[in-house]
Amino acid sequence: MIHLMPQKPEKLKTTVMLAALIQRDVLIGLRQKSQIYQPLVFQLLVVTMFPLGLGAGAKTLAAIAPAVIWVLALLASLLTLDHIFKVDHEDGSLETYVLSPVPLPASVLAKAGAHWLLTGLPLTLFSPIIAALMHLPESAFGTMLISLLLGTPTMSLIGSMGSALTISLKHGGLLLTVLVMPLLAPVLIFGASAILESTLGNPASGQLLALTALLVFSLTLVPFAAATAIRINLE
Amino acid sequence: MSSTTRPHHTELARLAKMKSVMPFEPSRTASQMPVKKAHEWRLQGSLLSCEREGAALFKPVSFHISAGESLLLSGPNGIGKTTLLEAIAGLRRYTSGTLRLNNKNIQDQLPAWWKSLCYIGHKDGNKKALSCLENLKFTARLHGHTPTTESLLNALDAVGLAGYEHHLAGNLSAGQKKRLSLARLPLVQAPVWILDEPFVNLDVAGNQWLLEWLDAHLQQGGMLFITAHDNQEMHRRATYRQELYPTDT
Amino acid sequence: MNRLVKLYHQLGSPPTFYRITGKWLPWLLGGALVLMFWGLYDGLFVAPIDYQQRESFKISYIHVPAAWMSMFIYLAMGIAGFMALVWRMKVAEAILIASAPVGAIFTLLALLTGSLWGKPMWGTWWDWDARMTSELILLFLYIGVMATYNAYDDPRKGARVAALVAVIGLVNLPIIHFSVQWWSTIHQASTVSLFGKQHIPWSMLRGWLIMAVGTKLYYGYSVLKRARLLLLETEKNTAWVQKIIEQECRHA
Repeated sequence: MIHLMPQKPEKLKTTVMLAALIQRDVLIGLRQKSQIYQPLVFQLLVVTMFPLGLGAGAKTLAAIAPAVIWVLALLASLLTLDHIFKVDHEDGSLETYVLSPVPLPASVLAKAGAHWLLTGLPLTLFSPIIAALMHLPESAFGTMLISLLLGTPTMSLIGSMGSALTISLKHGGLLLTVLVMPLLAPVLIFGASAILESTLGNPASGQLLALTALLVFSLTLVPFAAATAIRINLE
Repeated sequence: MSSTTRPHHTELARLAKMKSVMPFEPSRTASQMPVKKAHEWRLQGSLLSCEREGAALFKPVSFHISAGESLLLSGPNGIGKTTLLEAIAGLRRYTSGTLRLNNKNIQDQLPAWWKSLCYIGHKDGNKKALSCLENLKFTARLHGHTPTTESLLNALDAVGLAGYEHHLAGNLSAGQKKRLSLARLPLVQAPVWILDEPFVNLDVAGNQWLLEWLDAHLQQGGMLFITAHDNQEMHRRATYRQELYPTDT
Repeated sequence: MNRLVKLYHQLGSPPTFYRITGKWLPWLLGGALVLMFWGLYDGLFVAPIDYQQRESFKISYIHVPAAWMSMFIYLAMGIAGFMALVWRMKVAEAILIASAPVGAIFTLLALLTGSLWGKPMWGTWWDWDARMTSELILLFLYIGVMATYNAYDDPRKGARVAALVAVIGLVNLPIIHFSVQWWSTIHQASTVSLFGKQHIPWSMLRGWLIMAVGTKLYYGYSVLKRARLLLLETEKNTAWVQKIIEQECRHA
């Protein structure tokens, strides 16, 4: 006898479902690898262009290093945002978590979390290499790591919202950039400023607090906006 | 010989074997299973209609389904069968009419509806980079279940994908992909099935066991919404058939 | 008050909206033209010349109202977007989509006149001061709303996603504005402010205020005219639009 109907009423396991979503995305990311290494290769390529264009003077490079590190992190993560929901929409697995008793905003958080693990975290860990290439003073490395650790999750969250807004568009890449960039301007401002302050030997706690505030703000509002965007797109 | 051209009799033998080997709760046998309707549910749609880009797709339809019954939607290509199925599933909005679950508007009880739902659309929902086993495991867990490896293997065996558990879903044939997506039915064990063209790409044997599954599901008190444009047997067996007609404009 | 509530409900239905606003259009346009000409005349010929900035100050009679309008229209768009999302009002969707290009043009006008004003003041066409940078980001937000609407084949879906984009933009606007302001205070020694600290006399302020009312009437005219056309297009299969087409044909 094959049981096709529930044998006993089962309790809904929200954590199982959300953990599965994160685990699945991370496993796919680790297996396909391109989502992880492409942003890093992109960063490396672009950072090489700066000394070529500006001259290799350590002082010149160090002066623009804080901005370059943050702009590159922003651009590199933009490369991968398009995929967050679109792939799921194309292969039909999106329906599994949209038609789920687990609230869609929670699933959005899980998706953004997986995206951060696959791009934000590697970008943060890779940043000392970029910083060394840009002659950033070593005293600022700590602040740089903390600022990226606080800023990249916001990028993943706002990016997942952008991805949700353009989910059913075939060529939504440029639109995604237009939508996401202005919203990420504050992250860039405080992130780059934090590094700049610490290169000058000043404390950067104010900027880091601002980055934390932006992260908390995105954590609370973005999941609902992205869930609304997904539902409108499926209509 | 690939599995899609497997001779009929071995398939039936396998099916028989499956029925005896595959109980998901080994302590119970078929004879002990009380034949009762697990969910005394009624779904009532009145004058439902959907639109695409501002234009109504089909003349409004009404239906009334109870546990143990099935509704087959038919009509020409592009009439909106998939759209209506998606609206019933709660994936998109219907533009007019009402959909009531046990006399209450379904919009007010969507989480409960989704909890009891297994929706398999024409997109198979499998990840190319994951193996059959992983795909099945994650789909079940996305439905909130924690299946054992044994039950996963049993489900793969039931759809004729035994031995394929470590093959990547991206390398499967179209028919095998369909089988993989159908393998979630015994795992998820949802009372309501919404299947959009489940017979497409399935071979004769596949058609056979899917029909038997659908029958068994209804007998156990399940509910079924289905489109199956080229399966005459399904058309014959469905409790209700709803033809969709184009609007006059 | 009751009459206002009633009017609001009437305007929610596309045919009534179309009928009622049709009567407003000539008044709005007339009022806008009269006030804008008066405001410009007052600003250019009547108002005293600023002793620091001389003639270049006169561009403020276009720049300031345009900058005010760029923010006012985004606010109106965000509110319309919220109504479109929550109550699924077709009229709100039309207002939202109709507002975006008008607001974008005012933003562009504010940026261009700011740049023209900046040349004699700063000696450069563009200076990254907080106001101008915020205005530029505001232009990007407008472009986002318009590009979203245009990207979708289904205009209603496009309008609803654009509504969400507008609401997200409105929520983020204060954050962007304050972070840009903070950024400009730490990154540069304050440049010559376009507006001196001195008290602005009424004779100078008057032109701005007249222009502010005039441009709002113009926005009202322009947005209603566009929204009416959008509604005719999205509702083209309904009886009320068919009736209007018949009437128009009979006139012609």
